[in-house]
Amino acid sequence: MEPVKFDLVALNLNTIMPMLITLGGALFILIIDLFKKLDKQFYVTVSMATMLLAIYAIFQINSAGRGFFDVMLVDGVAVISQLIILGASVLFMPLALTGFRFREFKFAEYFAFFLFMIAGFQFMVSTDNLILIFLGLETGSLALYALIAMHNRQKSLESALKYFTMGAFAAGLFAFGSMIFYGITGSVEIGQMKTVIEGNNFSNMPLILLGTAFMIAALGFKLSIVPFHTWTPDVYEGASAPLAGYMSIVPKIAGFVVALRFFDFLAMADDGVVQTLLWIAAVATMTIGNILALVQDGVKRMLAYSSVSHAGFVMTAILMGTTQAHVGMFLYWTLFLFTNLGAFAMLWISRHPSKQFDIRYDHPFTKFSGMVKINPVAAVMMAIFMLSLAGIPPFAVYWGKLYLIGAAINSDHLYLALIMAINSAIAVYYYLKLVVFMFLKDPSQNDGTIYNMNGTFPLRLVLIVAAVFVIASIATIEPLSAFIQTHVVASGF
Amino acid sequence: MITLNHYLIVAAVLFVIGMIGVMRRKNLLMLFFSTEILLNSVNIGFVALSHYLNDLSGQIFAFFIIAIAASEVAVGLGLLILLYKRKNTVDLDVIQNMHG
Repeated sequence: MEPVKFDLVALNLNTIMPMLITLGGALFILIIDLFKKLDKQFYVTVSMATMLLAIYAIFQINSAGRGFFDVMLVDGVAVISQLIILGASVLFMPLALTGFRFREFKFAEYFAFFLFMIAGFQFMVSTDNLILIFLGLETGSLALYALIAMHNRQKSLESALKYFTMGAFAAGLFAFGSMIFYGITGSVEIGQMKTVIEGNNFSNMPLILLGTAFMIAALGFKLSIVPFHTWTPDVYEGASAPLAGYMSIVPKIAGFVVALRFFDFLAMADDGVVQTLLWIAAVATMTIGNILALVQDGVKRMLAYSSVSHAGFVMTAILMGTTQAHVGMFLYWTLFLFTNLGAFAMLWISRHPSKQFDIRYDHPFTKFSGMVKINPVAAVMMAIFMLSLAGIPPFAVYWGKLYLIGAAINSDHLYLALIMAINSAIAVYYYLKLVVFMFLKDPSQNDGTIYNMNGTFPLRLVLIVAAVFVIASIATIEPLSAFIQTHVVASGF
Repeated sequence: MITLNHYLIVAAVLFVIGMIGVMRRKNLLMLFFSTEILLNSVNIGFVALSHYLNDLSGQIFAFFIIAIAASEVAVGLGLLILLYKRKNTVDLDVIQNMHG
């Protein structure tokens, strides 16, 4: 056997630089904590600086390439998804500077875990090696379980445990699926699997289908695809509001990128079984997510089911397999990021200690009734996020829906396009239910301070950024989709 | 003569045992054991396939799975201790508050 050549240039350190920066930031926070206990303001500042530096490092990668003995694969898709991950994290971080004191922000470990989680998801999207995907997935998920559990509530522990058991099961399924594909192709790299399977002209179809079923189940747990979505509402209800919003975006985009890399060539097989499987999964996810969202009493649970439905909507891009669909997928998720994080941040800013509206929910619909008479600014802001989620023009998510339905029509999936349109119409009902509560009902017993109880300047700043993006999306949509298009085309999807 | 198929059958049987365990067990500790069985069944399969294909990456994957299984138990036991301190039980049914 030849000795391994260790050449620093051949390693292509650029490809790993963003993750090195986030990991370095996390270790720095842990080391500082050993010597001196500091305020959360300090940790938030360090984390923000780390993430902005990592974003800068991503823009320094000028050529798509492989590094670290071909384990890393930083192509256009990896760049966009890393930008989405880090962008969501930058928006999330100021939400830690709350008016109330929360137990989890007292620990430096919270911020270190957070940065480790980002690094895990970054690794997951910028490789096509199943070992590193698995490692990244587990690094991210394990840190996330701890983050959920640190919120000091009985419900949080329950939701962390539920997420943990589901996640551990999904890890087993992912490993078994990888094993089947390793047995078929003799490789753990998706690119080489594709070459071998297409070279054999899909001769091992029963085995490939078995492996695909395991993979769909494993990724389905992460993406909350029906019937693997059962944990979603419980976990979102138990986690703190911003973390729930974060969970609906970042782990899912990482899962979508892996699904894109993995299922893209399988869905294009001649007999179309995998494509049909994905079709059923996507349609079931958006329909069932929508129907269950209709009957919820808590706004957070409603948003959880709505994010299940949005995941199903975006899942369709993978089965269509055209460039337009893939561009639409990233575009949709960028727009969804600002809208959904904004909506969850609204819940966070209106967090209050007593349970005066409902014994179970922190944010029942009745809490928001008549909000426009007491706190008009907050009510209008919440309404903007709701209208955007409902896909009403000219707000952000509308453009994503338009793009994806257009892609479905262009790739001859007419029934799919019809189902997507019908589902968008159903979704309008439960988003407008909240708007109706806010604008048309009479106020319940409160003086309006409750909607701003947890608010500080950083929280309001995040909300303003999100709201401005949602409103101004009509102007940004053109350059944004052009940027995504160049990167997606460059990486061959 | 033990061939590749024997190893793969053992792996599949262990995986099914682990899967049934994850679905049926209500005791959290037993549930963790089941996830360990899941991951270790995959290890057997990977090492056998790696030997059969004369390719090292399967064995490397198995090593990483061992590491991940260890860290998973570390986090899981942390949560379990937290639960036990608060509720004095490790039964999943007892802590079930959210539904619907």
